[in-house]
Parts: sequence; C-alpha cells; structure tokens
Amino acid sequence: MKSEVLYMLGIVSVGFLLNFGLRAVPFVIFGSRRHALPKGVEAFGTFVSPVIIAALIVYSYWGLAWRTPWPYLAGGLTIALQLVFRKPLVSIIAGTVVYMCVLNCGCTSQRIVQLDKSDPSIHYSDYGITMNGASINPVEVVKVLRDNDIPTDRVIHIRMEEGTRDLRGARTLMGILAKGGYTRPVLVSDRKSEAFNTGRPKKAPPPAAAQGPRKIRYKKASE
Amino acid sequence: MLNEMPILKAERHQLLRAAFVDSMPVLMGYTTMGFVAGVLLAAKGNLVLAPLWAFLTGALWVTGTMNFACVSLVAAREPLLSLALMTLAVNFRYAFYGFSMLARWKTVPFFRKCYLILMLTDENYALEAACGEENSAHHLYYCTILSRLNHSYWVIGLTVGAALVAVLGHIVDPETIRVRTNGMEFAMAALFLVIFTDQIRSFLSHEK
Repeated sequence: MKSEVLYMLGIVSVGFLLNFGLRAVPFVIFGSRRHALPKGVEAFGTFVSPVIIAALIVYSYWGLAWRTPWPYLAGGLTIALQLVFRKPLVSIIAGTVVYMCVLNCGCTSQRIVQLDKSDPSIHYSDYGITMNGASINPVEVVKVLRDNDIPTDRVIHIRMEEGTRDLRGARTLMGILAKGGYTRPVLVSDRKSEAFNTGRPKKAPPPAAAQGPRKIRYKKASE
Repeated sequence: MLNEMPILKAERHQLLRAAFVDSMPVLMGYTTMGFVAGVLLAAKGNLVLAPLWAFLTGALWVTGTMNFACVSLVAAREPLLSLALMTLAVNFRYAFYGFSMLARWKTVPFFRKCYLILMLTDENYALEAACGEENSAHHLYYCTILSRLNHSYWVIGLTVGAALVAVLGHIVDPETIRVRTNGMEFAMAALFLVIFTDQIRSFLSHEK
C-alpha cells in the first residue's frame, strides 16, 4: 500500500515535470523580459499556429472512423456552416450531431454479412467479434441479425474462444442484443478450431461426430 | 509593470461570456473524454485511491493522450522511465505551442504565466491562438478564464469517472460508455476545423 502510493506520487510528478517542461520550452529560451523578442521568432510564432491546427485536424481525424466517408461529410458541413453563418458553436454542434447520428445508425459499414441461418452464432475473443468470419462492430450486431431475418426468439450463441480473458465485452454484447430484442443470448465456450493444430498428425475423428453439430459446452452460472 | 488601463466591469462580463461560449465545445469533449479516462484508470489501473490519482493527473498533467496511455503502464507497474519516454514521444508537440504566445504573454506575472503555460493543451491553445483580442490585458483575462473553465471540465470529468467506479464497482463499464457516447469525439475535430477556417479567412482578407 505504502510503496504503491509512493510509486503513484512518482508517476504523477514525473508526468507533471515533463508535460510542464515541454510546454515551457519556448518561454525558457526566449522569455527574458529585458531583451526584445527576435523578429524571426515572432514570425515563427504567427506562422506556426495554423500549421499546428492543421496537424491537430489530421491527428483528431485519425481517432475517428476515418476510413468511412462520414467524418469528411460532417467536417464539410461544419466548414460550410462556419463560412456562411460565422457562429462557431452552431457549426460545431451541427457537425457533431450529424456525425453521431450517422455513426450510430450503423452507416459505418455497407457490407452485407451473410449468416448461416441454422447457426447464427457470434464468435467472441479478446480481439473482437466476428460473425461467420467477418469482424463486426458490437453496435452493429443487432443490425446484422435483423438483415438476415433471424427471429428474435432464437437462441443466439456467443461462442467464447478458449483463453479469452476479458469477459466484460461479452456482457456488454449481451446487453446490446437484449436491447435489440434478442433476449436469448447464451454464452458458450468454443474450443479452438482444429485447423490451428499443425503439430502431430491427428487420428481422424469418428464419422458420427464429424457429421453431428459442433459440441457446445454450456457455461455454469458460477464460471 | 501593469501599465495598462484596468478592465472595466462591462468588458469583464463580455470577456467572460466570450470565454464561456468558446469553451462549450471543449465542455462536450473534455467531460466525456475525461469521464471515460477516469473510468478506465479506476477499472483497469489496479490502484488504491484511484479517484485521488485521477484528480492529481488531471489537475497537474492536463493531457488527454497521456491519461489514456498511462492506464496500462500503471497497471503493469512499469518503471517511471518508461512513462517519461512515452510522455516525451507523445507530447513533443507541446514544445511548439508557446511560440505563438511569447509576444502576447511577455509582461504576464510569473505565477499567472506558469498557470497559462500548464494549460497549453491542444484545444486551449487553439482557442487562445485564434482569439483576436488586440488589448493585451483583455487577452490575458480571456486566456485565464478560458484556462480555468477548460481545466475544471477535464478534472471534473476524470474525478467523477474514477469515483463512480470506486463507489459502484464494476457496474460502470468503460465499453458501454464508449458505445453510448460514440461519435462525441468529433466535437474536438470540429473545433479545430472551425478555427482553421477562420484563420484562413482572416489571412485571405488581410492579403486583399
């Protein structure tokens, strides 16, 4: 406990010193009150600000869904509103609202994922969610199920890959399914496909087992 | 030192309102981002007194990127040196922000200047650099108010997020919050776009 507090105090002070130090660099070099600011530095200061802001635009777009057209659409709307009305708050809120609406209406992907209707299961691992081999954003799972005309009273298996550590995402996924009307999701554990076993040759499985449905082990409530 | 005219009360109100209106997009971004960062720190940081650390990092670092990046680092109890290296690599851009402010803040008293330097974050810098206030006393007043507002949004978001996890346990799930506020981060990009648009426009009108 005591060493942990000391460690965190160290973390806080190191972060403070470095962040503050980086920000103070120009003031330490050119901040003296007695001497006038060199002309070049002042010119650099006025020149650097639009460059920094342009870089910040690129940097913030990198955190958005930049592979889809939507951030650019919302960005174009923001710029257009700003050019016409010159009300920053209006432009920013309009752009953000449009972006949020478009993003959460499932417009981020136009692909159509075909599901196997006899087994509409969701594969869950630490690396994300896949349905029939295609990786899916959790918020779009319900849309994919609806697009494939899966009735809401179907049992939906969420197959957890063996060795999955973070179960909270799975819980969130169940919540999303329940909200979308799919009230019967079941968490099952899924052994890794035998295709991954490239070591020693395996005995051929008995034909009955090969043809039957894949074995599913239901998790107990305590697991 | 302060040879400028004191600011009139009416002007004070005007500047205060301008700073508050300008800080609205930052309010949207900082509170949600800070909240998620606080929840992450408390839920995944493997710490005692998580709300205290969330408060201290928020108040003293004031950098969103590092607040997200430090979570895994702190959870694994990495040495301080790796935090230092990561901070240098991620936040090197901060070393350039001061250049635009050198001339304007030349006569600012020491401690006030230190606070303004501490608050040179991406969003705060963008707004301060874009502020067209000619009178330097007015500009200083505007910057101080804006910094205090944005600082408080960030600290409140972080601390509330961490405190909620500390009180409610795992009921607050970072993933759910991320899904609920999905897309809110566009407010920051939009803020930069608007400021850039205005800068280009004023540049073009000066050329004519």
